[in-house]
Amino acid sequence: MAVIHANVAPDRDGDLVAATSKTKLSDLWKTEDWQAVWIGFIIIAIGALGVISGSFDFSAAKFSTWGNGNSLIEQLTAGFWGKLALTAVVLGILFTVGNALRGVSVKKYVPAFAGLFVLAVIVRLISAEYTFNRYLEWAFFALAVGLLIANTVKVPNWLKPAVQTEFYIKAGLVIMGFSVLFSNIVNFGLYGLGIAWIVTPVVIIFMWVFGTKVLKIDNKPLVITLATATSVCGTSAAIASGAASKAKKTDLSLAVSISIIFTVLMMVFEPIIIKAVGLGEVMGGALIGGTVDSTGAVTVAGTALGETAQTVAVLVKSIQNILIGFIAFAVAIFFTTRVEKKSASENKVSAAEIWYRLPKFIIGFFVASIIASFVFQPLVGADTVSSINKVLDQYKNWAFVLAFTSIGLDTNFREIKEQFQGGKPLVLYIVGQLFNIILTFLAVYLLLSGKFFPLPNLVVG
Amino acid sequence: MRKYSKIIIGIISVITVLSAIYIMVNGLGLVDSLDFGAGAYYYADIPGFEKYVNGDAYSSSTPMWVLIVLFLIWGAIMYKAWVWLDKKS
Repeated sequence: MAVIHANVAPDRDGDLVAATSKTKLSDLWKTEDWQAVWIGFIIIAIGALGVISGSFDFSAAKFSTWGNGNSLIEQLTAGFWGKLALTAVVLGILFTVGNALRGVSVKKYVPAFAGLFVLAVIVRLISAEYTFNRYLEWAFFALAVGLLIANTVKVPNWLKPAVQTEFYIKAGLVIMGFSVLFSNIVNFGLYGLGIAWIVTPVVIIFMWVFGTKVLKIDNKPLVITLATATSVCGTSAAIASGAASKAKKTDLSLAVSISIIFTVLMMVFEPIIIKAVGLGEVMGGALIGGTVDSTGAVTVAGTALGETAQTVAVLVKSIQNILIGFIAFAVAIFFTTRVEKKSASENKVSAAEIWYRLPKFIIGFFVASIIASFVFQPLVGADTVSSINKVLDQYKNWAFVLAFTSIGLDTNFREIKEQFQGGKPLVLYIVGQLFNIILTFLAVYLLLSGKFFPLPNLVVG
Repeated sequence: MRKYSKIIIGIISVITVLSAIYIMVNGLGLVDSLDFGAGAYYYADIPGFEKYVNGDAYSSSTPMWVLIVLFLIWGAIMYKAWVWLDKKS
């Protein structure tokens, strides 16, 4: 009996997600989207059990910073190798079972996954180097390593079964959902809401209109991926909205690369400019929190201005971070109902059709977020939820590294050049970011200059 | 015209990448007390991160439900505006 329709499955054109036709109840365990949801939930459940019971350590491996006086060899202890083995086994088993249920040969997938995991280890090792660690996200190195192999020695056939960008991204996003806490909405009250939430969707819409109507970029998933990376929080937002809009792998890699490079510049120059114009720590911190893409860079740039600026910057950014799920959901609905209409005559898409086409891992993301916010946080407390997320964070990172390495392995330089479309995505990012800065400044001035509203009472230090 | 715009975009791209490399090589913009930057980050790495999680950094007098309602209303308005603008042209 066909009770559940549709779902999504990987296509052959490199889309992150692709809608397919009606399917069956077995979709719940046979389709990539639902499998990603179960994988995410299994990892969340085991991680939470380990932390709450205190009976076992489920932490995945993580390279500490090395270089500049920090020894790499010293961190390679038995404990580290144990965690690395645990990470490989946990992810290997879960992704292999998923593939087996979809009919992929286990015999071919297991050695391929092992090879991909080794590449992921190399990526994480490189990205933990002292200087790289401080400026460029792992996504950059994952793409670089994958591209280097794909465009020089070529990807060996035995490795190809593991190149499954979509699967790893979706699983990573569900895990990430647990770290998106709705309670952060109160972190900075109406000030935070005014700066983070009023501005963000306006910037997204502006960039959408500018990208699709003015620059006439046909590739709409690229436009929305770039817009959310600019206005929300860089790489994570790009991954979520890229998957929700069914962006191609090259869309995602281009958006993430632009965001990563400009984040380096903004992290350094924004505090300098803010100091030069004498904006002050409260307004300066809020401007940084609302405009710099990566949360790590926001913290560094805010701290460069002072302790108060750091506090305000992180408060604003923490609110922006909870927008990822809502915006990815809105993007999925928008693309389902407006961009992917089968024909011009299809003016109204039914609720059932929306459900058929909706990427189901978005539901997993939301459910994980709701469970963390309204079940775990009240029951076990914010500190325990933070400890659980510290465990989960590394699994999410490993899943995303596997995904971005897969993107690199599946891309050639010519595709990237074509994707650049004469520089239009760069123009879109720069214009959108400038608009973001201007609009955020206006919101910050209105709310935090003290001329229109009372200044917030912050606890600093 | 198109040729000039391509040249300008090319120059901007080169300057951007070179600036990023210069910043990295010279270690600009880093804070000694933070063992991360734009690249590696986890929120528990932020000094005193508990105050952000526990809501100790700022105490809002506005109830949470009011903020959630405002959040949802603005989100709905913006989504409608997005659809309207996309339909319009």
